[in-house]
Amino acid sequence: MNKIVTTRQLKFSYGKKEVLKNVNLTINSGEIIGLTGENGAGKTTLLNALLGLLPSNGQVEILGGKPGGKKARQKIGSMLQGDMVLDNVTVIEMLNEAASQYDEPLDVEELLQKVDLKKHENKLLKNLSGGLMRRVTFAVALVGNPDLLFLDEPTVGMDAQARKVFWQRIEDLRDAGKTVMITSHYLEEIQQTADRLLILQNGVLTFQGTLQELQNKYKKTVIRFKTKLALKKFQKMAAVISSAQTDAEWICLNSEDGDETLKALVPFLGEISNISVQRESLENIFLKMTNEEELA
Amino acid sequence: MKIFLGQLKFDINRIFIRNFSFLFFSLLMPAGFYLLFTKVMITGTGTEVQKFQLTYMGSMIIYSGIISAIFGIASLLKTDRDKGFLCFLQLTPHKTKYYYFSIYMLIILLNLVASIVLQMIAVVFNGVKINFTQVLQCMLIVVIGQLPMVLLGTCLSYLKKQETLNVVSNVIVFPLAIVSGLWWPLSVMPTWLQKIGQVMPTFFANDLLSEVLLGEKLKLTNFIGMIIWIVLGLIGVAVVLRFYRKQELSS
Repeated sequence: MNKIVTTRQLKFSYGKKEVLKNVNLTINSGEIIGLTGENGAGKTTLLNALLGLLPSNGQVEILGGKPGGKKARQKIGSMLQGDMVLDNVTVIEMLNEAASQYDEPLDVEELLQKVDLKKHENKLLKNLSGGLMRRVTFAVALVGNPDLLFLDEPTVGMDAQARKVFWQRIEDLRDAGKTVMITSHYLEEIQQTADRLLILQNGVLTFQGTLQELQNKYKKTVIRFKTKLALKKFQKMAAVISSAQTDAEWICLNSEDGDETLKALVPFLGEISNISVQRESLENIFLKMTNEEELA
Repeated sequence: MKIFLGQLKFDINRIFIRNFSFLFFSLLMPAGFYLLFTKVMITGTGTEVQKFQLTYMGSMIIYSGIISAIFGIASLLKTDRDKGFLCFLQLTPHKTKYYYFSIYMLIILLNLVASIVLQMIAVVFNGVKINFTQVLQCMLIVVIGQLPMVLLGTCLSYLKKQETLNVVSNVIVFPLAIVSGLWWPLSVMPTWLQKIGQVMPTFFANDLLSEVLLGEKLKLTNFIGMIIWIVLGLIGVAVVLRFYRKQELSS
């Protein structure tokens, strides 16, 4: 895969406050990247630095050039926080205006259909609901037919239906080979879509990898199954089992390492049924990571 | 060119066609003032009245220019910046060059339209005589005279709060109009105020318009005065922009 974004020792400060601290990251072509972190962790600042809106220290290469360079501006679409609710402008006028800025834009009519805005095309932006306006902003980000998209909290204010349409469009972008970087507080959505996760904590990139890799780092797993065997057979089966409970025929094992516990269960496979494995959710891992940081 | 025309169409729709209040304050209000002062509140001999009808027309053209530049440009640029539109354009291949060109051109065009409307009102309702050369000279002065105002409007657009901008705009527009003799003759004001008024950009533009309309020789000092204000305006924009960026990076 081609490296489409690379940063080395990327730093940025607002006055004396260091917001990004030596961020080293790589984004490959065609990846969907989820960027998450607490409020104030530096996510928006990182996006702004990659877009060339902020002058940063360190090396940043984006689409083979500098952030904010002409090639980058032609090939990058962005959906920043806040919407462009311009007075006296309709949805279709806004999209035509945005399309006119690019050499090879998407067809505005088709785009309106895709993002489910066709029936609102002649409405003034100021008369749209927050969720609809967010969809307009998403359409504006797409209209230039970018290869790389930066989406900052894109689903804030969207209802469930709009969110569904939005994530479908992200899947379409993945199928089209586009690269997308999304920041979001909706961790369960990121978890479902992102190929790789980036976690920023207090300006430091503390994790960069797949969800599986993150879960392996935080291996805590709950394994539940049905059996007629006694609980004690499982309690000392593996050192990684921290606790075990029973409820009628059900046994629930809390394990520090799910993979190790599953391996230990193999000899019992003939006598157990209905096995379910519940790994730590991204949200729980994220909460743990932030708690660890606070304690440190 | 296609991009610029698209930008122009987009801005015409939002600034003029769907924004009646802006047209009212920039175009109709100066025209209303002109009719009020030249038809109702006027005394003097025939020659004095004729002279007043011509010079007051010039004053109202300049007044219209101040309104559209200070209230129009400052507010428009600030709103577009606050709502992220300028940031969006900054990230597109052509950045903001067509945007600024379109906005400045439309505001200057609006002032030219105001100048033609006011001249037509003066001819139709007051029977003043203006020849074609005078019309063209007026248009040229309107364009040059508008430049310092446009630059001042641009500087004001960087004020942090909309409320502050509203107050500052009002504090500038009306005193500037009065002190440079657009509403009442400078001669009725105290000497110290006259001295201040005589170095204002609006005074130079207004004086040039009066000279053109009354068929007098154009004073070089008025041109020099306007050029100095244009240079000061450019320096002002550069300083404000630098200060704004510095502030943005430190907060």
